[in-house]
Amino acid sequence: MKKLFCLFFLLSLASQAQENTVLASKKNEFRVDVLSALVYTKASLSYERFIGKDWSTGFNVNFSNSNKLNEDFINGYRNNVPKFEFNPYVRYALSKSKSRYYFAEVFGSYNGGDYKEIIRITDMALPDYYTTKKSKYTDFGLGGSLGYKMYFKDSIALEFLVGFGSNLTNKKKSPDVISRVGLNLGYRF
Amino acid sequence: MKKLQYIVLIAVTLLLSSCNTDDDGFYNNVFADIPNLVAINAHPAVYTVGEKLYISADFSRYLNDGALLDIFQTTGATQFAFSYVIEKQINATTWDIVSVSDSQLDIVKGDAQNGSYVYGICEYNSVDETYEYRVGFPLLAAGTYRLSFGYNSSSNNSVELRSLSPATRLILNINSLVSGLNTDGYYNFTVN
Repeated sequence: MKKLFCLFFLLSLASQAQENTVLASKKNEFRVDVLSALVYTKASLSYERFIGKDWSTGFNVNFSNSNKLNEDFINGYRNNVPKFEFNPYVRYALSKSKSRYYFAEVFGSYNGGDYKEIIRITDMALPDYYTTKKSKYTDFGLGGSLGYKMYFKDSIALEFLVGFGSNLTNKKKSPDVISRVGLNLGYRF
Repeated sequence: MKKLQYIVLIAVTLLLSSCNTDDDGFYNNVFADIPNLVAINAHPAVYTVGEKLYISADFSRYLNDGALLDIFQTTGATQFAFSYVIEKQINATTWDIVSVSDSQLDIVKGDAQNGSYVYGICEYNSVDETYEYRVGFPLLAAGTYRLSFGYNSSSNNSVELRSLSPATRLILNINSLVSGLNTDGYYNFTVN
């Protein structure tokens, strides 16, 4: 019985080592965010490049056209609506296994969208009136995320990610908080 | 396991830090202070049973809040709403809200509904470009009464008028001082 257990343990270690070796040889990964596409009507694509034993870097781009956000914007429940984000990031793997692991990341964000403000129109010849003025905004932000990733068949990635950050340079117009929440399906090669 | 605890701790910290945001709220409200848009009709403070207490408003679409402001162009609203309460004294410290049916209100101009307070609506008259309201409240029993405009506002010496704007248009909130109120915000009167 003891021999059987040792054999099973060694086989398991060997299998994991083989998986780690196979995955380590694949340096690139593309992902699509299924959650954002279904829930937020947001197209979100990511690329990741594995650059060492525990480190990787990459970027995420997404474009949003959510009916809910657009309606809230039109009805005055919010004064901005994000339209695009470009998020470069650096990640560190927190677990030893390469096939299933937790990770932490630091990300930057260049983001933009529509902004609406109330202005008073003053014309000396006519009475004043208030109206809304729509314009575009862009901002830079920084944030951090945590996630869990697992691989199937050495190539198919499933990743869950939760992260938050803050816009920094144009907070009067942009959202204070930027979030990175996603359920990504990817391919590593 | 300890690593997982750290991760959860960091995640919770991130979640809590994201709560401090002013992104939500209402971004279609405009505010203005313009006095004397609503008036208690001139009358001695002693009424007789069967008389009516009239509240009136008759203000132009062009109002002065420091400069001339076109409130119709701002809001697109053909109605402005406000509220007031009439109470009857029961004993030295107790006042009861007086309620009558809508059909007992004497609606001369505008519209009104009566429940725990009178919900008055000033209607836009496109001919002379004014918002108008004149509604009489029947005084059906003798006693000591008081009227206040503070039911839906935090101020006790003014009335808050709110435009009933079409969807997607701006909502104008006008804080308007009312003459004839005492320092507690009441118009006291007696019915004999």
